[in-house]
Amino acid sequence: MRLSPRSIPMSWKARETRYAYATVLPVVVVVALFTIYPVVYAVSTSLRQVVLYRPDSTPFVGLKNYVDIVRGDFFPTAWAHTLTFTLFAVPLATVLGFGTAHLLRVRSRLAGFLNAAVLLPWAIPTVISGVIWAWIFNSTYGAFNGVLYSLGLISSYIPLLSRPSSALFCVLFAHIWKELPLTSILYVAALQAIPDELYDAARADGAGVLAMLRRITIPLVLPTTLIVVIYESMVAIVTFDLLYVMTGGGPAGATSLISYYIYNRMFTSYNFGQGAALAVILALSLIVFILVYLRVLNSEEVYRE
Amino acid sequence: MRHSRTQQLLVTALALLAAAYILAPFAWVAVSSIQPEKELFSVPPHWVPRILTGDNYRFIFTGKFPAGYTETGLLRGRISEKARDALPALMNSTIVALTVAAANLLLGVVAAYSFSRLRFRGAGALYTFVLASRLLPPMALAIPYYLIVARLGLLDRYGALILIHSAVTLPFTVWFLAVYFKRVPPDMEDAALVDGCTRLQVLVRIVAPVAAPALAAAAAFAFMFSYNDFPFALFVTSTIRSQTIPVIVSATAVNPDVSFGVVAVTVVLTMLPPVAFALLFRRYITRGLITVVTTR
Amino acid sequence: MIRRYFALASGLMALILVVCAVAVAAAPVQLTFTVWSYSNDVIQDNIQKFQARNPGVQVGLNDFAWEKFTDVMTARFVGKTSTDVSYSSDHWLQQWAAANWIVPLDDYFPQVAAYKPDFAPYAIEGMTYNGKLYGLPYYADTIIFIYNEDMLKRAGFSTPPVTWDDVTKMAVAMKQKKIVEYPLMFQFQDITPWYIEVFLSMVYSNKNPSMFDKSLNPTYDTESSTAHKVARWLVDGFRTTKIINPASLEMTEVPLVKAMGAGQVAFAVLPKYNLADLNTTGAHAQAGKFKMALMPGETHGTEGFVRFYAMTKMAADRGKEVRDASWKFLEYFGGKSGGEFTVVKRWALEKGLGFAQLPLYKDPQIRAAINKWGNVTLEEQQSKLARAKEALTPFWGSWSLEFQKEMNKALLGQETPLQALQASAAKWKEMKK
Repeated sequence: MRLSPRSIPMSWKARETRYAYATVLPVVVVVALFTIYPVVYAVSTSLRQVVLYRPDSTPFVGLKNYVDIVRGDFFPTAWAHTLTFTLFAVPLATVLGFGTAHLLRVRSRLAGFLNAAVLLPWAIPTVISGVIWAWIFNSTYGAFNGVLYSLGLISSYIPLLSRPSSALFCVLFAHIWKELPLTSILYVAALQAIPDELYDAARADGAGVLAMLRRITIPLVLPTTLIVVIYESMVAIVTFDLLYVMTGGGPAGATSLISYYIYNRMFTSYNFGQGAALAVILALSLIVFILVYLRVLNSEEVYRE
Repeated sequence: MRHSRTQQLLVTALALLAAAYILAPFAWVAVSSIQPEKELFSVPPHWVPRILTGDNYRFIFTGKFPAGYTETGLLRGRISEKARDALPALMNSTIVALTVAAANLLLGVVAAYSFSRLRFRGAGALYTFVLASRLLPPMALAIPYYLIVARLGLLDRYGALILIHSAVTLPFTVWFLAVYFKRVPPDMEDAALVDGCTRLQVLVRIVAPVAAPALAAAAAFAFMFSYNDFPFALFVTSTIRSQTIPVIVSATAVNPDVSFGVVAVTVVLTMLPPVAFALLFRRYITRGLITVVTTR
Repeated sequence: MIRRYFALASGLMALILVVCAVAVAAAPVQLTFTVWSYSNDVIQDNIQKFQARNPGVQVGLNDFAWEKFTDVMTARFVGKTSTDVSYSSDHWLQQWAAANWIVPLDDYFPQVAAYKPDFAPYAIEGMTYNGKLYGLPYYADTIIFIYNEDMLKRAGFSTPPVTWDDVTKMAVAMKQKKIVEYPLMFQFQDITPWYIEVFLSMVYSNKNPSMFDKSLNPTYDTESSTAHKVARWLVDGFRTTKIINPASLEMTEVPLVKAMGAGQVAFAVLPKYNLADLNTTGAHAQAGKFKMALMPGETHGTEGFVRFYAMTKMAADRGKEVRDASWKFLEYFGGKSGGEFTVVKRWALEKGLGFAQLPLYKDPQIRAAINKWGNVTLEEQQSKLARAKEALTPFWGSWSLEFQKEMNKALLGQETPLQALQASAAKWKEMKK
């Protein structure tokens, strides 16, 4: 039995509004400080020529930094590398998360153990996981090579992080390891929402495992899949710490993503103007991406209604 | 419900593979932390350790140098001493992360509830603004954040980290919980309001207990983000007074006198608080995620 | 009554003023010192000893990871966070000085000129910008050639290589005798700052050691340049004779040293303090077997670098008291106290760090300590043949990363050595504008 707004006395409504603002404002103020200022700082810096070792002149140069960045010969390769990384990382994280979620739902002692273990990679700071994986993938004393060697699969250690393609593999291996906890738990949640009766009915109709997967499971977890894909894409596009520690953007620039170049422009070239411009470009790309997502999600919801 | 034998074997095999993938790095680090440095670089590795030692742990906890590192006649050995800051750093990290989680629970929950239940002018705009705040990459945020914190006089203090981490986690908490609250029918709350309770009382007495799993999940996310943060902590901390564990581990892992065995010990120690936290609240975390994801 | 109150109050005021005046006069000067986190305990101990000698000065230590040091210092300087004395290095001097973050010591402390004759030339050059001296050395070292004596002997050689052809010959022999699969390994990760220094040291060991001309234009991108010779030698060792470990492309300093200590590498080109570390028994399986040789090549020249203590502009602006305190600090740490280079000597004895102060080579304690893990005669000889990096500019750091990336492309076979050199030279010209 809902109360209609008109039957509430005015003073009570005013009190509610005051309460609303009082509870919301602290959060907004804190977040605003840490949002407005960096955005203003980034945009204003990107429109000026700010080179730290030329401190005497920081003139307004309009879009020159943006043009220089987009025309720079690193720009297309950086995007190519970023997209390559993302196009591998996102499907892998999604599919493996989906698969692991199934393993987590089995009733067995092993699955119970796995349920506890799956949270562990989440508990490690990314930069430390980079240090550990760089140690494991090291081509002269690493454990990964060691396992292959001890199992007799290779006769001498393979240079993993020293070749462009295998370096990408190593970096993806480490990245997926870090992302698996979240994706698998999200899928576990989604799978739990599917009523068992659907599967029972399908099995009574003679459907096999693959058919049930295709007809029931995958369509019903579509909302979660969208969340996972979007989130993992955002993570992949801005990823920095892991790659920086494991490969330094190499070998020969093979794993240098856009985020690396933001760092390079700001802290190596000391060109804050260009670094800010690149960051703004990246942020705009993310906005475009999110808008696309919202479009897809809205159309999907409408469809489901 | 898998009945076929081969299917069961397949599932077990895959589960073992998944467990191996997830646990292998931890096992490697744990086993490396109890071996002397010399043993760690053999080709192939000694899968069963030949020499076990507590020297690395003893170095972190008591400062006694591992065997072979002190030169006769010299005052100190050639090993990374920064590692001994691991324990204070662990305390810093845990305190900051717990405070950030608490701040999220206090401020974020209350704000999320207001967003979801109350109508007030500017709600939509504020909501979008709070969500849009996470688009600049951390590298570009580091300097502005540093400048803000410096102006507030909070450099090298817990306050700097708590402020920055809260500012970054609150938007997510608010969004996450607002979505949740919106799906919950407001009947009980309306009844309580009619009985004369204030919104705050309704929140604390009726909504919070029911929403506990979602709240725990939000707190857990905030804790993990704060604990794991490296780029912001790196810039605003400058002494062990506030340096967090990611900062210490990265500092110990790069010097010419680094001992990987000691690094392994710091990594093992790093894992303990969040693992304890995650295991304690695991049920709540998964349930919280379930309720949010499935009530769409 | 009122008069009594008045007398009491003014008496109290006077007392308070006197106490305040005494407190202000006695208040120690606070200096903020920023370092990278190497041996913090030793640094703290040095600070305590300094404070004991100079009771009017208190030093607060702030430390950051070595790899992130410049990043954090950039934020500190941009945010004008109070910093008075700091570690700095020859390869950032250009940027820091041009950005007006640190100041020339010559301008504030003319007495610093008295130290110059004691310093090795490459160290002075590394601390000088626009003709002025910007610091006193923390440590200075050279890039040296380290070899595993045991492996050398097993391959049938009794003396270390003298030319780069010798190196190839001996490495090939080691490979054929299966002593080690890849006798050489380098720290050639894309972004490690040591890559360019190692390359330069190899260039400087030759007869025509220049890569740039006097107007700072690159001269190394021609077929006949020394740099091309070195680049071709490296690519050859990588792809043809296979004496250089392909894993070099992922190596930074620490993993290389760990691998060498474990017996995976016979020859390496490394900063000298690593020799002290390699011969530390607790750390490496092969400790004790590593020896230093003069850099192979026609002139045995090499590259030398210097890390130094600098005073910031912020300190200079804080007033005479702070400046005087800073000078006391700089002199204690990088200069003489009690007639001796106390702190520098301590680093050399305890950690095997090199030094720019040449008179220390005559010190018997130093000689004995170095000979425990190295060879003091060779070291002294090598430091006399060391050259500072040429053509240091504010964009040198950026250029070096491009240089390294292009060289790695050549090592991977994606382009020829000459193309790699030309590509990075083109980048230099672009940055110079």
